[in-house]
Amino acid sequence: MATNTESTAATARPELSDYLSDDLVIHGLLVFSIVLMGLPLILAVVMSTQTPSEVYEVTNVGIGSQGLANYQTALGEYNLGQYMWNSFVMASIIVVGKVALSLLAALALVYYRFPYERAVFMFILLTLLLPVPVRIVPLFQLMADLGWANSMLSITGPYIASATAVFLFRQHFMSIPASLVDNARLDGVGPFTFLVKVLIPMSKGMIAGVSVITFIYAWNQYLWPLVVISAQEKQVVQVGIRYLQGASQSGLTQWGLIMAGAVLALIPPLLVLVVLHRPLLKTFAIQQK
Amino acid sequence: MSHIQLDDLRKRFGDVEAVRGIDLEIEKGEFLVLVGPSGCGKSTTLRMLAGLEDISEGELRIADERVNGVAPKNRNVAMVFQNYALYPHMTAAENMKFGMKSAGDYGDDEIERRLDRAADILDIPELMERKPGELSGGERQRVAIGRALVREPEVFLLDEPLSNLDAKLRVQMRAELLKLHQELQTTTVYVTHDQTEAMTLGDRVAVLDAGQLQQVAEPQELYDFPANRFVAEFIGNPAMNLVPVDVVEDGGEVRAEHEGFSVGLPDQAGLDDAVGQSAHFGIRPEDVSLAGNLPADAPTHEITVSVTEPLGESLLMHCDVGGDEIQVKAEPRAEIRPGDDIEVGFDEERLHLFDQSGDAVYHSTSATPKTSEAPLTE
Amino acid sequence: MTEFTKPFDSSWQAYLLLVPTFAVLIAFLYYPAVETFRLSLYQTLLLGTQKAFVGLENFKILATSPEYQRSFVISFAFAAFVVVGTLVVSLFVSYLLFEVSRGTSSYLVAAIWPYALPTAVAATVLMFLMHPTLGVITHYLEALTGIELDWFTSGPLAFVVVGLVAIWKQLGYNIIFLVAALNNIPETLTESAKLDGVGRLKMLYKVYVPLISPTMVFLVVMDTIYAFFQTFPMVDLMTSGGPSGATNLLIYKLYRDAFEFNSLGKASAESIILFVIVAILMYVQLRVSESYTHYGA
Ligand SMILES: Nc1ncnc2c1ncn2[C@@H]1O[C@H](COP(=O)(O)OP(=O)(O)OP(=O)(O)O)[C@@H](O)[C@H]1O
Ligand SMILES: [Mg+2]
Repeated sequence: MATNTESTAATARPELSDYLSDDLVIHGLLVFSIVLMGLPLILAVVMSTQTPSEVYEVTNVGIGSQGLANYQTALGEYNLGQYMWNSFVMASIIVVGKVALSLLAALALVYYRFPYERAVFMFILLTLLLPVPVRIVPLFQLMADLGWANSMLSITGPYIASATAVFLFRQHFMSIPASLVDNARLDGVGPFTFLVKVLIPMSKGMIAGVSVITFIYAWNQYLWPLVVISAQEKQVVQVGIRYLQGASQSGLTQWGLIMAGAVLALIPPLLVLVVLHRPLLKTFAIQQK
Repeated sequence: MSHIQLDDLRKRFGDVEAVRGIDLEIEKGEFLVLVGPSGCGKSTTLRMLAGLEDISEGELRIADERVNGVAPKNRNVAMVFQNYALYPHMTAAENMKFGMKSAGDYGDDEIERRLDRAADILDIPELMERKPGELSGGERQRVAIGRALVREPEVFLLDEPLSNLDAKLRVQMRAELLKLHQELQTTTVYVTHDQTEAMTLGDRVAVLDAGQLQQVAEPQELYDFPANRFVAEFIGNPAMNLVPVDVVEDGGEVRAEHEGFSVGLPDQAGLDDAVGQSAHFGIRPEDVSLAGNLPADAPTHEITVSVTEPLGESLLMHCDVGGDEIQVKAEPRAEIRPGDDIEVGFDEERLHLFDQSGDAVYHSTSATPKTSEAPLTE
Repeated sequence: MTEFTKPFDSSWQAYLLLVPTFAVLIAFLYYPAVETFRLSLYQTLLLGTQKAFVGLENFKILATSPEYQRSFVISFAFAAFVVVGTLVVSLFVSYLLFEVSRGTSSYLVAAIWPYALPTAVAATVLMFLMHPTLGVITHYLEALTGIELDWFTSGPLAFVVVGLVAIWKQLGYNIIFLVAALNNIPETLTESAKLDGVGRLKMLYKVYVPLISPTMVFLVVMDTIYAFFQTFPMVDLMTSGGPSGATNLLIYKLYRDAFEFNSLGKASAESIILFVIVAILMYVQLRVSESYTHYGA
């Protein structure tokens, strides 16, 4: 498309070569920027194969002699496998819980007539003003009182309701043509059938998008698990990386091992993003409106 | 006894009164068309029949039962929407079955039987496994009609079902709808803003404007005896010419006097009141003829052509007569140019007069209107 | 937005559907938030086992504490650094993406992936690569420019390094929105300028930036919130607030006051101040998006 319009514009004037070289420059700049953005990650992957002594030779940026051994050590000896599993369970529970609860809430908000609709919606939206740090001290105490400290409940429960997800599903439901809803009324379709047979199949993209956003968000949690989980074996992988920092071998910090841990902690959300970037982008497009 | 009765039906949306008291009786098996300009309350009326919209005031009876407040699914009506309203994730068959399945009142055999029958009637068995995205507009609308058919309802309600189709398909579907109705004889209420569709489809046509019923009559009668200026201008294309005149009596003959012409009105009852008043004189473009086509003694008037529009089957001329514009339809290859002065005569059988409030006071046709449902203009 | 008559009108069913969401929001969001307000009026003693009502004393202490004042100023400076840095870089990359691939997304995933980058991972990786003695980046930077990146001892350098980590991680999110905004501009709006031969850079700031300003405002707000709330792992992993408080962001100070020093009352007061900051930012976002609604659909 772009090349088309540009070349037509260009042939009209004597600057075809200008435009072509211009285009090359743009591609060049773009590749350069993308490489620059990815460079730290590439270096991290390379370094994750090095032994501490190789790491300490600063100018050595080649593949090291450890191969994948650092990954093995991180996953096994340093328990990163356990932490990643914990993170995975946490993120999955949050995704499923948040999607389910938000679908139900949006169903009520969009398709039910009930008193104080607006107030209810505002009540949900206002929680956007309450990120974890704003309520962290009492929340911590609440977890202790409930006996939830050090449990999966404590790192999932507070996250499974969300203003953003309710808002997104609500927007999406409202964009479903009114006549489809009228039709359901003429047929006397009940709310449960309507949700399962009509709304959910028609919201697959949005559900995928919300799931990706939620998964990446949940996987990224750091402060709250750090505060509320003190038993190491229950910890999530982001905080698990912190434990790796103490790892040293004959006085040398095991940076290769740490890099392996960092790369491991990045893989799941990165995979999710690459595979599901389309629904994610669509969902963001709606969120901003 | 009529099948559907609307008794002073009203609908308010907050401060807006969308439907302002409609009285209407629809016979069993009748095909009634509700027509009117955009925003006049057609859809709202239809949706009140379906139960999709609450009735603010008045009474609605279907099969002699008051149904205000009865849930849509219990009214035994089926509706077809302009945008088809098909579920995009279901095949045509699933779409058609969905309502019956969720009602839960039908056995699987019954559902299949009805599905096959509807598919046959509409000639779409081969489309049944496709999803709406894989169907053309016309095919989608057929499936939507099929979905209404399988419910075997007592009343069909259709809201501009053909508006999203291209012109050619619209004509074809129109004919099929007529055939379908002849076959099934189900009471049908059909909403459209297109007067041609209204005229061709309706057993009777109800003209609506600003939430009020203007006239209900058979198509030809609507055309020949419009009850008021609104109907006169709305029905027929191009619209009826309306120009202000003074009605005078001149030696026993009543005449409509205009700056550019004076027409004798064949005597008829009801004209007495109009004499001495100003009124609007109405004549359809197709009822104005070039002098050459008239008997030599017929009265003619001189008018000036300002614009010509060749329509193919005729030539439409915008003309100036005594400072007002009228449109005239002439034979297609008449050698007439803008700026020409031409002589025309009015068909004496097709003259109309409307009083200051817009009500018809006089139609020159000798035949009298058959049914005379009183227009509602208080 | 389509208007339709809602098909279901059983109020109790509606409330039933809302119960799970409400239960979570009340128990884990509203109740703790209200508690934070209450706690901020108390002083906690003996490792949090006792407390005494002190009114607004905690806020007074914070307002007059040089350490808190410094943390406050640093946090705003940090937010400004992160917001400007993120927007400039992502606008540049987004514009390139937009120019080469109107409509296609071949490069897109390669540019937005930092959205999936966990903050702790970003911090760990750059901490090593920019390590004062072991870092590859540090090494070549010094070799090429002579700049010594000794951020373990230099406060300003630490500030910048942590800021760069924060920017890196946030690029993906910004590029997602900027590319979408650029692609939303009707081509007819820009074609005539192109035909007039307006240069690319001039197009960017004379035509595109004004057209996507609603998105830019949205991103300024989101990036600011990010800089205040999501940067904890970076400080925690890289600098622990140092050297000598140069990266002691409000969020980090709050964490330490609450969970290292057990000053729960004071920490709650700090939470309230953060709440006020989010509230103001959200309000700005709301007002701006309202005044720009004529842009959107
Ligand atoms: N849900 C609603 N809330 C408020 N006003 C409404 C609502 N539905 C319709 N109206 C108003 O009622 C009037 C009649 O609307 P209706 O949809 O019946 O018109 P219509 O004759 O079907 O027009 P069209 O040919 O454009 O479909 C309009 O002025 C419309 O704005
Ligand atoms: Mg309508």
